[in-house]
Amino acid sequence: MMDKETIFRAWVSEHSDALFRFALQRLQDDELCKDLVQDAFLAAWRNVDGYKGEASVKNWLFVILKSKITDHYRKAHTRLEVDTILREHNDHTFFDEQDHWRKGMYPKQWRVDFSNRVEAKEFQQVFDSCGKKLKEIQNTVFVMKYVDGLDSEDICKELSLSSSNYWVLLHRAKVQLRACLEKNWMQK
Amino acid sequence: MSRTISCKQAVDLISKKEEAKLSATQRFALWRHLAVCSLCRTFSVQNKIIKKALTQEDYRVLTTEEKEVIVKTVLQTKP
Repeated sequence: MMDKETIFRAWVSEHSDALFRFALQRLQDDELCKDLVQDAFLAAWRNVDGYKGEASVKNWLFVILKSKITDHYRKAHTRLEVDTILREHNDHTFFDEQDHWRKGMYPKQWRVDFSNRVEAKEFQQVFDSCGKKLKEIQNTVFVMKYVDGLDSEDICKELSLSSSNYWVLLHRAKVQLRACLEKNWMQK
Repeated sequence: MSRTISCKQAVDLISKKEEAKLSATQRFALWRHLAVCSLCRTFSVQNKIIKKALTQEDYRVLTTEEKEVIVKTVLQTKP
């Protein structure tokens, strides 16, 4: 029988990249993602005797990592951040009294050819750097909605947001991203 | 239900549509708005691009050294 240490090394070499990528898709910070992956392995190592082999090791590690990410979301979600966003951008920033798009806020055509791999990659880089400028809570809402495919009700419950604040956060995040993308990509 | 909806309402409906949360009346109202409003049509396309970019996979990996750090850090603690 292999000793525990050898088994553990095999887990890290086999699964750490997938775990790291999973975290990267959900959080913007590389260092933070490395830490969370390490935390997940640490938790797995501490519970190694409790692991019954019912789920595959991979699934088990992912479950642990997901809970680490959720903990992080909860910590990151501060009342203050939400209040700031709600104060800085109200609907009048984008729409006039008739609820029509304001002149400077008109959505512009984006020309991205995703079938062109170089162009798609360049766009992705600009997109990622624009994403980093969003507040953490906005990214969290984005990820839960689009990456994890959660329903708005579940997201509101998870982050203790009111439904109207949720839609506002989501919408503001889109418009902020738009503005950043139009400045850094569309002008080419 | 009013005859026409505003751009602001249309944008709200576009986001809700992604979650399949529109009633038949709302779907019809949105469809009618998009038929005449190129700005909101553009917004709707942008929305799809954002969604696509957000779900793009990352291909980065950890270096051998980074993995070794994980192994060392974890093994130093008692199981």
